Amino acid sequence: MAPLSPYTYIQCPCSDAPSQARPSETPTRDIAADQDDDDRTFDPRAPRSNYSLYPLEYLLYCEDCHQIRCPRCVAEEIVTYYCPSCLFEVPSSNLKSEGNRCTRSCFQCPVCIGPLQVTSLETPPDPNLLAADNTSSGPSGPYILACAYCHWSSIEIGIKFDKPNGIYSQLQKLRNGGQTRLTAKERKDRRKEAMSTGSFASTHPSNPGSDDVLDVESQFENLRTFYSHQLSESTSAAPGLSMSDLGISSPSSLARLMNYYNVGSLDPSKKGLGNSRGRARLGTFREALDTEEGLQLAQLDESASISAFKASTLSDLTTTSQRLSQAESHLSNLVSPALHGSSRLTSTLRPIPVLLRTKRSKRCPVCRHIISKPEPKVASTRFRIRLVAGSYIPAVSIRPLRVPGVTPPPPPDGLLRPLVPAQYLLTFTNPLFEPVKVTLATPSTTPGRFASKVTVLCPQFEIDANTDVWDEALKSGSSETSRRRDEGSKAGGVAEVGKIWERGRNWVSIVVEVVPALIKTEGGEELKEDEDVLEIPMFIRIEWEADATGAEVGAAPGTGKEVREKRELAYWSALGIGRIGSLGQLG
Amino acid sequence: MSRRAPKGEYIETDTGNKVARKAILVGTQNITLGGKTVIQPEVMIRGDLSRSSASSGGSGSGNNTAISIGRYCFFSRGCCLRPPGRFYKGHFTHLPLRMGDHVFVGQNSVVQAATIGSHVHIGEGVVIGEMATIKDYTRILDGTVVPPYMTIPSFSIVAGRPARVIGEVPEGGHEAFELRELYKTVGNNVQPAPA
Repeated sequence: MAPLSPYTYIQCPCSDAPSQARPSETPTRDIAADQDDDDRTFDPRAPRSNYSLYPLEYLLYCEDCHQIRCPRCVAEEIVTYYCPSCLFEVPSSNLKSEGNRCTRSCFQCPVCIGPLQVTSLETPPDPNLLAADNTSSGPSGPYILACAYCHWSSIEIGIKFDKPNGIYSQLQKLRNGGQTRLTAKERKDRRKEAMSTGSFASTHPSNPGSDDVLDVESQFENLRTFYSHQLSESTSAAPGLSMSDLGISSPSSLARLMNYYNVGSLDPSKKGLGNSRGRARLGTFREALDTEEGLQLAQLDESASISAFKASTLSDLTTTSQRLSQAESHLSNLVSPALHGSSRLTSTLRPIPVLLRTKRSKRCPVCRHIISKPEPKVASTRFRIRLVAGSYIPAVSIRPLRVPGVTPPPPPDGLLRPLVPAQYLLTFTNPLFEPVKVTLATPSTTPGRFASKVTVLCPQFEIDANTDVWDEALKSGSSETSRRRDEGSKAGGVAEVGKIWERGRNWVSIVVEVVPALIKTEGGEELKEDEDVLEIPMFIRIEWEADATGAEVGAAPGTGKEVREKRELAYWSALGIGRIGSLGQLG
Repeated sequence: MSRRAPKGEYIETDTGNKVARKAILVGTQNITLGGKTVIQPEVMIRGDLSRSSASSGGSGSGNNTAISIGRYCFFSRGCCLRPPGRFYKGHFTHLPLRMGDHVFVGQNSVVQAATIGSHVHIGEGVVIGEMATIKDYTRILDGTVVPPYMTIPSFSIVAGRPARVIGEVPEGGHEAFELRELYKTVGNNVQPAPA
C-alpha cells in the first residue's frame, strides 16, 4: 500500500445546517439537543464529510460575515466565455444563438480528444525547383483536420475543406463522405425547382418514404415551422382567440395545442363538449405529413448497419467514451440518418467542436458580497477581488518529528506502526498582521472502528504577527534574544507537555503524539476504503484583535483613537497523518 | 539533507543562476537565462536547435535565440528542453522555446513547447509536444502527455494521455507556484531548511 503524504482539510461551516441561515428554528430546539450539539465531535469519516472538507487553497473568506466559504456554498456568476483553444472571447449573445461550442476552427479529435490541426493536403513543393515563385504563396487547399496525437484525420471520414479558416461553418455543410448537406433554405429552393419542373409526384405527401432523409436538426426546424404555421392559422380561424402573434413557446399556445389533441379523447364524459368544439376546428389542425413538414419515418430496416458491422473489425467500432463525447456535444450535424443518437462506427464520427470555458466571479451566499472577481479579459490572470481563506486563517503543515538519537529510524515503507507512539510536528503559520491566539481541541481517540489515541501536547499558544520580512531583518539583532528565550522545548530534544516545540517569525510548531490503533478485521471482513488512514479531527479556534471594519468606524466618527475589535473564528479540520501498517507487515 | 551537494556542484552566475556542472547545455550562445534559475544535474537544454540560418541566408545571424527562460525557473534532474521544429515554406526549421518566470519542470520531463507562461508547474515524466502553448498558472500533473499544438488556458489542471483539462486552479492556490523558496534550497552553500 502506498504511503500517504500528510494533509490538512478544513471543514466549511456551510455543511453545519443549523448554524447557517435558519435562526428562527434555534429557540424551538430543546436544551438537550443543544447540549448534544456541543458535545458532538466532527467525524471526518462520516459520508457527509466528503462534501465539506477542502484543502485551504480551495476556501475563500467573506470579510463581511467573517466566515470561511467553500466552492460548494459560494454563488458563481459568469464573467466571460472564451474558447480554451483559440483563447477568443465569445459574447454571451453569440452563446444563445450558436451554442456553447467554439464556432471558429477549434476541434477535438473524435478518437482521442486531442486537438485537431488544419493541415494542407498539398505536399510541400520541392524548394530546389520552385523556391523563386513559391516564397510568396503559402500552402493551398484542400485542407483537412488532423490529430497530431493519434494521427486520425478527417480523410478517414471523407471530409476535406476548401478554406483553412471557418472550419465550423464548412463542416456544418458537409456530411461524412464529403456530400454537401443542405440547409433548410436550400432544400426549399430545390423543392420549388422540382415542383416547377413537374416532378411533383416524388414530393407528394402520399409517399413520404421516397423523400430524402433529414438530419435531426433540419427535421426539428421543419417540424417547428410547420406547427407554428398551423397554430397561427388555427388561431386566426377562431374568432375568440385573435392573439395570432403568440409563439409556439408560450404556455397558453401549448395549452391550446393540447386541446386539439384532446378532441378525439376517449373520455366519454367530455365527448359531447369535445365533439362540438372539435368539429368546428377539425379541418384546421392536422399533423405533419411529409418531410418538408417534419415527418420522418423511422428507419426500422437495419440490415445495412448489420452488414456494415459484419464487414468491420473491432477497431472500426466506437468506444463508449467516443460515443459519449459525440452525444455530449449533441452535434446537430452529427450523422444522417441519426443512429438513434449514437455513432457505432468510427466512420460516422465527427470532429468535436471545443467546449467553451468561463471565468467566474464568486459571491458570499449570505451577504451577497463579491469575494472573488477575475479580470474579464481572457489573457489577464489578475483578480480584482480575491479574498482567499489562506490570508486569514493559519496554514497547518504536518511533519513527523525526528530527533536524532531519540526517535527510532522511520520504517522504510512509510507506514505507521500500530500501538507504537509516534510524534508529529504541526506547524501553524499566521498570515495576519496581528498576533493570533490559537486553541486546539481533539477527541482523545479518533472516531471510527479503529480508534487511535491522540494527544496534543500544547493545545494553546500564540503566534506572532506576519510582519514585514524587512522589519524582521532590520531588527534581527534585538529579536534574536527574545526568540531564544521562547525557544520552546526543542532545545531539550524531548517534547514537553504544555510547551511549544519551536517558534519563528509568524509560525509556531507544536507536537502531537499519536498511538495508532491495531487494524484487525474479524472473520474475513474486508477493510473499508481508507479505513487504515489515521485522520485526526481537530477543532481550531483563533482569536485576534483587528482594526474595526468600516461600518463601526463610521458609527463613531471623530473619536480619533484607533478602534480595535476582537475577532474570533473557529472551525473543524481533519489532519491526515498517515496509513497504519499491520503487525504482520512489520514483522 | 540529501539535496545538499558537495562543494562546487553548481556554477553560480552574477544574475543568480545556479547551473549544475553535470547539466548538459548544448549551444549555450543561443540560451538566455533571466536569472535566479536553477538547472540541476543531467538536465539537457538544446540551444543548438536554433532557427536554421541556411534558409533565411544570414538574416538569422542577428537574433538566434533558441531557448529563452525567465526568472526563478527550476529544472529538475533529467529533464530536457528542446525547441520545437516544423516545416515552414518547405524547410524544416526550429522555432524558439519561450518560458516565463517561476516555471518548474519535474524530473525526466521533455518540453518541446513553443510558449510557456509564468507560474507553470510541470510534473514528473511529462511530455509536452511540439508547438504547444501553455498559459500562466497551469499545473500539469505527473505522466501527462500534452499533444503537439495544444493550447492550455490559464488556471488549468491538466492530466492524462492525451492531456485534457481536469480541473481549475483554485483562487487560493496561486501562491503555491512561487519558486523563490525552492531556489534557496539548492546551490553550493545553502542554508539548511528550518527544522
